[in-house]
Amino acid sequence: MAKDPVRVLVTGAAGQIGYALVPMIARGVMLGSDQPVILHMLDIPPAAEALNGVKMELVDAAFPLLKGVVATTDVVEACTGVNIAVMVGGFPRKEGMERKDVMSKNVAIYKSQASALEKHAAANCKVLVVANPANTNALILKEFAPSIPEKNISCLTRLDHNRALGQISERLNVPVSDVKNVIIWGNHSSTQYPDVNHATVKTPAGEKPVRVLVANDEWLNGEFITTVQQRGAAIIKARKLSSALSAASSACDHIRDWVLGTPEGTWVSMGVYSDGSYNVPAGLIYSFPVTCCNGQWTIVQGLPIDELSRKKLDLTAEELSEEKALAYSCLS
Amino acid sequence: MAKDPATVLVTGAAGQIGYALVPMIARGVMLGPDQPVILHMLDIEPAAEALNGVKMELIDAAFPLLRGVVATTDAVEACKDVNIAIMVGGFPRKEGMERKDVMSKNVSIYKAQASALEQHAAPNCKVLVVANPANTNALILKEFAPSIPEKNITCLTRLDHNRALGQISERLNVHVSDVKNVTIWGNHSSTQYPDVNHATVSTISGQRTVRELVGDDNWLNSEFITTVQQRGAAIIKARKLSSALSAASSACDHIRDWVLGTPKGTWVSMGVYSDGSYGIQPGLIYSFPVTCEKGEWSIVQGLKIDEFSRGKMDATAKELIEEKSLAYSCLE
Repeated sequence: MAKDPVRVLVTGAAGQIGYALVPMIARGVMLGSDQPVILHMLDIPPAAEALNGVKMELVDAAFPLLKGVVATTDVVEACTGVNIAVMVGGFPRKEGMERKDVMSKNVAIYKSQASALEKHAAANCKVLVVANPANTNALILKEFAPSIPEKNISCLTRLDHNRALGQISERLNVPVSDVKNVIIWGNHSSTQYPDVNHATVKTPAGEKPVRVLVANDEWLNGEFITTVQQRGAAIIKARKLSSALSAASSACDHIRDWVLGTPEGTWVSMGVYSDGSYNVPAGLIYSFPVTCCNGQWTIVQGLPIDELSRKKLDLTAEELSEEKALAYSCLS
Repeated sequence: MAKDPATVLVTGAAGQIGYALVPMIARGVMLGPDQPVILHMLDIEPAAEALNGVKMELIDAAFPLLRGVVATTDAVEACKDVNIAIMVGGFPRKEGMERKDVMSKNVSIYKAQASALEQHAAPNCKVLVVANPANTNALILKEFAPSIPEKNITCLTRLDHNRALGQISERLNVHVSDVKNVTIWGNHSSTQYPDVNHATVSTISGQRTVRELVGDDNWLNSEFITTVQQRGAAIIKARKLSSALSAASSACDHIRDWVLGTPKGTWVSMGVYSDGSYGIQPGLIYSFPVTCEKGEWSIVQGLKIDEFSRGKMDATAKELIEEKSLAYSCLE
């Protein structure tokens, strides 16, 4: 017996990431190959014609799982009844803009979208914020949508997590599906901390720690970290455009694991509302290692944190606290 | 026991369609969720950096099924041992351009690539030509790769087929997965003939014919046909870019059904080497209704062709014959 369709909202759907993401959702990558979906796509009026073009293409592709498409510039229509909201829309940083300028534009967007979601989304709607500054946009959204459970609001660091897996797999020349349990701590920015202290690789001789197999702490503590931190910029340099394919794919992974559960023995990274775990200040959206079960994430507790890691965890928390202050000053 | 990886080539991989297509292949949309793949991506020298950016993103996405990525500007390296070749590379159509404008640019490309494929691809390599003029590019490829079995060389009309299904589903307000057995005859161009004479819809009271349910022959014989024929231009008008998402998705459908077989009672449309069926001149790449089994397509025989259809099937054949002459004249 076929499942009832799930409504998935994508904001900024006429853009690059949206265009990569919507066919993935329509094929069942996000929620499983037996889960019908209804797509809600939102963008701003200047993008209305392009957005309609995306809707036309979704109809043209005859996706068996896609049971409806709403393409709109009306945030209320977009948010009505949605079970999953992927917030890709935001104000991109342009040349010459200061951080405060970008922050202030995005704070206004996320404040108003919070309101619309809170009023019109389905109960227990799960929210993933992708648009940068992802963590702080998610925090603003949380603050202005108080009736959305704080555990339902997350931001994307799965891209960084997947990038870290990819770098290890390339270094060790192993399939990426054999690498697991890296962690991305903190902000989806250049202060993120990609941590391999608990990461393992599946080998014929069983699970082995990444540190042992790589056997090059200098690389793991230096170049590996900066490569992952700065990967976004490297993609822009090569493509002349921001990551879309990998961001979209990782957004699907984030939601899928959240909804369908993480595999046994495996955790993933999600930007979630901090509860003080690992001495990270509470009240930030901070990336932690999590497992997921029955539609809920849980921070993996009890991982030993060495001195080098402690510093990095604190540094990215500090940046997030500053961003929070900056965001609030924009609201005054 | 995990399957051996299949090697899939995408030419023009740094472009729009390539960027939409490669994550679909890497997720198993093309060959199934249990089929590991190695991607070969080819593009021209000016796109080398962008192509490398795509490779980087594929690694960053940590696709479990993706066992390797080759990004190259060398046709020999690209073609080596490939089992499936998706020829997306070609000179793209821009707003205002006619298909004939792009003919001469593409003929020389396909002659060169025929040679490389013939010499270096795996035996029984299946080829799908997407770049327009798709049928004639495929014909050129066939002529200059004589050791590739002619039944292995096809062009994409599944996009038009899916567009036709989409239009019927919208008209009848039914799920597109309930509509089947439209046929696209002929050229992937504005002379294609989208034929619903044998198409059906799954209803509560069983399979019913589209003609009967639509109850508007005037619409089916005119606006429906022109909408499907001209849909490519409509997408360009809305997006200011050619269809990528729907083309990529349809390319996956084409290969998947070819390799894994069509569902019972269902046919699809593929541009294949004509054998004289339905009174169509042999020696053209012409879109027919086909079923697929054990990796082979067979033209659905015995469908009744009325006078209206006959006229349209002949008109598109005529255009293909003209394109063939034009292509050959470009070669001199």
